[in-house]
Amino acid sequence: MTKSPERTLQVLLFASLRDQAGWDEQCVLLPDQDVVTAEDIWHQLNLGPRPASVQISINQRLVNALTPVQKGDEVAFLPPFTGG
Amino acid sequence: MKLPSFHPLLEAEGLTQKREITIEIYSQPFDPWIQLSEWSSTAAASASFCGHVRAVDEHGSSLEALELTHYPGLCESLIRENAQRLLTVHGATAALVIHRVGRLSPHEVIVLVAVEADRRGPAQRCCMALLEAIKYEAPFWKKEWRNGQGSWVSGNTPLSSSS
Repeated sequence: MTKSPERTLQVLLFASLRDQAGWDEQCVLLPDQDVVTAEDIWHQLNLGPRPASVQISINQRLVNALTPVQKGDEVAFLPPFTGG
Repeated sequence: MKLPSFHPLLEAEGLTQKREITIEIYSQPFDPWIQLSEWSSTAAASASFCGHVRAVDEHGSSLEALELTHYPGLCESLIRENAQRLLTVHGATAALVIHRVGRLSPHEVIVLVAVEADRRGPAQRCCMALLEAIKYEAPFWKKEWRNGQGSWVSGNTPLSSSS
């Protein structure tokens, strides 16, 4: 089935997650269920269990894993920060 | 090169009113002393921190380069949220944050944080707290390069670390 733009969201990976997955940005089809959470999207990526240290943002706001996602959202998975 | 940055407060104030928070992400080297000179006002107290790339990696081996990436947009907004909160908590008046991204050589400047206040205590405490917030709460990631191989830094050293 062709991914319809109405039922997709954009997933971003950074740093070590990017290396692990082999991509940095991907359009992901929303599962056919009433409520889809950020954690559901993680499982769809087939990257194994999400380390507790990996934070999540939706549309550039940090959220918890059970936050629902919507079509068109930008969902990012963020390894521990090491700036400064 | 200066990357696009987000200055809603400064833009709203037209850059002519009192400066509060300035955040810049640079992809090219910068001179911290020139930046400080241009940013400084007549405030009675100021404190600053300038961080440089170490010549060794987290395991003590010779470092070839440090690569820094960030999440544009979220990074600036989280720094701004923390700066606003910390300026209020510590009673300071202005903050400057300049952070590098891209590939850096040993000894290059990686971060500059400066805070102004009416007294030394608020300036120094706020500057230290803001640096810690940047290290732990802003989405930057470091990759260390040695012998042509890169590896992601697993975490920041604690403030109390003497190593």
